[in-house]
Amino acid sequence: MSRKRLTQLTMVLIIIAVVVIIRPWYILDETEQAVILQLGKPIATIKESGLHLKLPYPLQVVYKFDKRLLEYDSPPEEVITEDKKTLLIDYYARWKIVDPLLFLQTVVSEARAMVRIDDIAYSELRTEVGKVELMDIVATERGQIMERVTAKTNLKAQDFGVEVVDVRIKRADLPSQNEEAVFQRMQTEREQQAKQYRSEGEEEATKVQAAADREKALILAEARKEAQIIRGEGEAEALKIYAEAYNQDPEFFAFLRTMEMYEKSFTEKDTLILTPESEILNYLKSPRQSATRD
Amino acid sequence: MFYDEPEGKVINLHDSKITRFFKRLGYLIIVIVIAIYFLTGIYVVGPDEVGMVRTLGKFSRQVPPGLHYHLPYPFQTVVKPKVTELRRIEIGFRTLYPGPPPHHQLFPEESLMLTGDENIVDCQYIVQYRISDPYAYLFLIRDAENAVRNAAEAAMREVVGKKGIDEVLTVGRSDVQQEARSLTQEILDSYQSGIDVVAVQLQDVQPPQEVAAAFRDVASAREDRARFINQAQAYRNQVVPQARGEAAKILEEAQAFQATVIKEAEGEAARFLRVLSEYQLNPDISRERIFLETMETVWPQVNKFIFDSQENNESVLKFLPLVTREAEDE
Repeated sequence: MSRKRLTQLTMVLIIIAVVVIIRPWYILDETEQAVILQLGKPIATIKESGLHLKLPYPLQVVYKFDKRLLEYDSPPEEVITEDKKTLLIDYYARWKIVDPLLFLQTVVSEARAMVRIDDIAYSELRTEVGKVELMDIVATERGQIMERVTAKTNLKAQDFGVEVVDVRIKRADLPSQNEEAVFQRMQTEREQQAKQYRSEGEEEATKVQAAADREKALILAEARKEAQIIRGEGEAEALKIYAEAYNQDPEFFAFLRTMEMYEKSFTEKDTLILTPESEILNYLKSPRQSATRD
Repeated sequence: MFYDEPEGKVINLHDSKITRFFKRLGYLIIVIVIAIYFLTGIYVVGPDEVGMVRTLGKFSRQVPPGLHYHLPYPFQTVVKPKVTELRRIEIGFRTLYPGPPPHHQLFPEESLMLTGDENIVDCQYIVQYRISDPYAYLFLIRDAENAVRNAAEAAMREVVGKKGIDEVLTVGRSDVQQEARSLTQEILDSYQSGIDVVAVQLQDVQPPQEVAAAFRDVASAREDRARFINQAQAYRNQVVPQARGEAAKILEEAQAFQATVIKEAEGEAARFLRVLSEYQLNPDISRERIFLETMETVWPQVNKFIFDSQENNESVLKFLPLVTREAEDE
């Protein structure tokens, strides 16, 4: 009884082992799709993930492919533009396998598919970039170029079961020797700008200074004019006062002023030459002289 | 035969006990192993994660944070992407050591780009994103992080390529960030990547090292311009009030002069009138007195030579030069 049971158990285990070894099924991940070959002949394309049954190897063979959106990142490549300038273009492509059977029949592996994609996209890019001037690629035409390249690449990629969703220019830069020239131009542009700022400053400063100087001169001139008027008024007033007073007796005024003048103007340096007839010396000759004067 | 039987019985008894024990132990081990195997299906989804369960490779359900159970491998598996986590990609630089002070490695081939006016600018920036659709993120696109990086680089260059260098360096910064963000999002949406671009942030935007000095000089030239003008204004602020002060001084002096002249005139006139009124009482005597008084003060000061008038006036010439006593003494 026990031995019989053991035999049964062994039988079951052997069957399980055989089934596991020959595996009459396959599991497709959510990210995968597959092509089934029966004796080398494709019989089905499976896109539904999960557990599927199949005839054991080598009767049926499963080739699995990624179903997701894949990436191809190209190395930077030199492209000549319409205006004969060199542009270093680094692009990437996003693509997916839409027809795994065709893919298997034509390119087999992702690596080989990417070589094909690069061949196509690069040549399309060359053609499109060659029609446009450098600055237009950088500034305005980038989007259209990428759209056209994507469309054309996608069309050709259908031949090997691939859909190219996007070809995108990641970088479009100048090669290093051209960069040098750009730097020099930038440098001179900035120097020019700096000079302009400084001379603008000087210009404005000179203007402000000159205006200030003018204002100063005007203020002073105006003040001097005012002052002369004020002084003149004073002098006129004084003249009037003098005239009014002195007109009372002009002769006496003349006498008095003359006396004052004598007092002020004669000093030790002056020499007076007189004759005895001078009135002041009247009494020098005779004490009666004054009487004769009358 | 007699001896054989009990002996065999003893052996049988002994044998059956041991076998039974091992049999039980064996069952127990098998049950434990099976139990442990089934217990491996217990898993915890963290608060920042969602659980994506695959049954035999096929996506079957999405579970929220918490304790959950799935059938053990290989029947069901779970992946737990962190969906609330804000992820960050650095472009143009990589933080080697977050510091402080932080250490960065620069990648000029990522950060140097052409502007719309054919200049080159150095832009370092980061992209922040999170997973908005875990199904798409896991199952529809391969290498999603690289997709974000590439899309952001392409978008940034496209945006900067439409702008002039001065705009990028100064006023256009936030525009560049906005446009780069929405363009990156647009590209990633077209890939069905399940990624939400939260922000594109410019870190360092500067002219390339080779021309940085010239750019700095422009900035200092702008400062110089302001400085020159300020100095001139300071000069004006100094000169004009000074002139106004000077003008006030001139006017004050003139007024003082006016007042002085008038007062002097008034004084002199008053004096004259006083003298006149006295004079008019005795004109001759007063006249004589004034004359003599004046002479009295004048006389002692001057040198005097007196010649007789009978002689010819020309005779004075004989005495020339007339020298005073004091002068002769010297």
